[in-house]
Amino acid sequence: MRGLDAKFALRRGPLVLDVDMALPARGITALFGPSGAGKSTCLRAIAGLEPDSTGRVSFGHELWQDSARRVFMPTHKRRLGYVFQEPSLFNHHSVAGNLDYGFRRAKRPAHLDRDGMIDRFGLRTLLDRRVGTLSGGERQRVSMVRALLSDPSLLLFDEPLSALDGAARADLLGCLERLHGTLQVPMVYVSHNIDEVARLADHIVLLDGGHVIAQGSLQETLTRLDLPPALGEALGTIIEGTVCGIDTHDQLIELAFPGGTLSLPHHDERVGQPIRCRIAARDVVLARERQVSTSALNQVACRIVAMADAGASSQCLVQLDAAGSTVLARITRRSWHALGLSPGDEVWAQVKAVALGA
Amino acid sequence: MALLSDQDLQALALTLRLAGVVTAFLLLLGTPLAWWLAHTTSRWRRPIAAVVALPLVLPPTVLGFYLLMMLGPDGVVGRTIAALGLAALPFTFKGLVVASMLYSLPFVVQPLTNAFESIGDRPLEVAACLGAGPMDRFFTVALPLAWPGVVTAAVLGFAHTVGEFGVVLMIGGNIPGQTRVLSMRIYDHVQAGEYHQANVLSLCLLVVSFAALLAMSLLRPRRYLRD
Amino acid sequence: MKRQLASYWLLLGMLLAPWSVSATQTRHITIAAAADLHEAMGKLVEAYRHDHPDAVLDVVFGASGMLLTQIEQGAPFELFFSADSSYPQQLVDHGKAGGKPIPYAVGHLVMWSASIDMRNVQVADLVQARFGRIAIANPQHAPYGKRAEQALRAAGIWEQVQPRLVFGENIAQTAQFAQSGNVQVGLVAESLVLASPDKGSYAPVPASLHEPLRQSFVLTRRGIGNMLAEDFARYVQQAPARAILARYGFSLPDGADH
Repeated sequence: MRGLDAKFALRRGPLVLDVDMALPARGITALFGPSGAGKSTCLRAIAGLEPDSTGRVSFGHELWQDSARRVFMPTHKRRLGYVFQEPSLFNHHSVAGNLDYGFRRAKRPAHLDRDGMIDRFGLRTLLDRRVGTLSGGERQRVSMVRALLSDPSLLLFDEPLSALDGAARADLLGCLERLHGTLQVPMVYVSHNIDEVARLADHIVLLDGGHVIAQGSLQETLTRLDLPPALGEALGTIIEGTVCGIDTHDQLIELAFPGGTLSLPHHDERVGQPIRCRIAARDVVLARERQVSTSALNQVACRIVAMADAGASSQCLVQLDAAGSTVLARITRRSWHALGLSPGDEVWAQVKAVALGA
Repeated sequence: MALLSDQDLQALALTLRLAGVVTAFLLLLGTPLAWWLAHTTSRWRRPIAAVVALPLVLPPTVLGFYLLMMLGPDGVVGRTIAALGLAALPFTFKGLVVASMLYSLPFVVQPLTNAFESIGDRPLEVAACLGAGPMDRFFTVALPLAWPGVVTAAVLGFAHTVGEFGVVLMIGGNIPGQTRVLSMRIYDHVQAGEYHQANVLSLCLLVVSFAALLAMSLLRPRRYLRD
Repeated sequence: MKRQLASYWLLLGMLLAPWSVSATQTRHITIAAAADLHEAMGKLVEAYRHDHPDAVLDVVFGASGMLLTQIEQGAPFELFFSADSSYPQQLVDHGKAGGKPIPYAVGHLVMWSASIDMRNVQVADLVQARFGRIAIANPQHAPYGKRAEQALRAAGIWEQVQPRLVFGENIAQTAQFAQSGNVQVGLVAESLVLASPDKGSYAPVPASLHEPLRQSFVLTRRGIGNMLAEDFARYVQQAPARAILARYGFSLPDGADH
């Protein structure tokens, strides 16, 4: 089944948006880019909230917009679940009233597990509360469940965590991670925070200056060597693995993945739990031999695949392969030459457990 | 009741009936107009908003005069109405309703427009994303959120119509039971030197206006708790 | 900030400036005149000024009852020309007059229509449906209105025409209703009809059907000792003035009917 195909252009003040993207029918796709790249505007246009956009948007077998044929399906007919960046609950309803607003308009309400979702997101005790008495985190949780209860066929989340403080954000991120596994419908998740993207997304669309720079699977795209320097800080490796051991004494966990195991600080993971871990390219050190007297806990055997210039003239990006997982490292050119590295070489990639801690 | 004669009571009842009917019609017709003014990007918005505001600054006698001319047998509207076989509007309750609707128009439309504007776009966008069509959005989101403005509009429209004089003077004809409203009755008592009756009726009018303002502040629900 | 303050003072100054202009005329009176004298009084004043160019006479027209009320509450009129004699008498009775009421004219009531041919129409004919709405001045306080009611009662049709009556606040407004065609016929002052003789047609209301409209004027307390007021009062009773009044259909108090 086809996912979301969107090719449109839109002018909004100084921003000129011109995108062409094809998103899969399952999983979470992140829309990532720096502030001002046009991510929110893009999402709004997909939802039909920007009638000035020209182009074509289709989802599955539904044609949502086709400017050439003057087709424009209004927002309320597109079965979307939209969560805005600022908690946008109805002031004139209680929490329960808000949740029911979407639920009462759902196409197939019987198909939804209303009570289950309320409990899973911890809203049971909040049902009778008035909106003004809720914290930011609570409000976003209500917004999310409200969107889910409207029986959407596509979820659009616009930076739902950016207005929240650290604790609330961590809490909600966990909620979303758990939701990811049970999602029946695709989600487009806008964010400028690479850690959120790393933990949640399966696919990614990189946006900058109103244009799509790259799109594809998360791991592949973030380990590409040909992306513009503006996205430099986002680059890195996403490791998906399973927790295979917990050291309660040292408060560390062992993460098993095809290329070996990694040690990371323990939070609240359980054995057997699948988790993701992001390794920023700048945190990877390369060495010809395996080190023994080093504080870095993680050393992974890799083979160099390719090298390219990084943004800063002192640095370069090295793409490595660790038994099928692609790893990206950013090192100085001096080191590249000093170690005499070249594609095909076997090296060790070192990462501090602490760098994986956040 | 020695205080108010039958004619005075009739004038009071007529005044309240006029204000009620006018307010009801203005709410009905003013709401879509206010909605349009609050949301349109058309370049007609400013001129139309100015026309709506005109009765605020136009002397009521001027308004009454022009209405008399337009609705009279030589006027544009008057001739059309006669051609349709309908009774002429001046000197009738219906005519007074029409005139009062124009006179009190901004007092109803402006609070409504402000209320709709202050809602902003977001609640309506949210409602649309949750599957609510345009009518649904209006009745389940816009109207409840704009409710304080609706109450203000109703009370202002009512009170303003109760106190109307200049327009009635021009186009009313002072007919008992039809257009002899309280303000005209007071004027007539003064002209006839009947100060006592004029006093009583003026007090009546004052009490009604005060009650209206009090009602406005009591009936308005407290603002919904904000963040 | 400074500029805003300056414009603020400028605006205030502009608004208050007219107050600083002082009236320098010494021979100046204001006359309160009943609404039916609208054209006639204008001509009287014009003629007077022809002989006395330095005199300034302002005229304020209104319903006689309203003018009486205003004078009693201190309105600055030196002379009060009423459409009847009872209002000036009331002024005397309340001690606010400067002399006795003096009759200056007898008014006449006519039936006037802008659209219907009124020749040979009797008052009793007004009960006919073709006369649609009938305008009269408010009988509660307007002298012509009171006489109109008397005439309609005397003709035996008051009960029937009641629902069709439209009330003008004063005789001038009543005439305006009739003139604009908003009512089919109005019982108005002949003086007002004669002011626009080409409009519509009219028929007299027999004087026997109502009390006479003996119109009197009186000097107000404020007018006492005012040379101009007293002079104009004398002028109004003399032949040239009476001729003007006669032209406007007024009968003269001790003269023959027109």
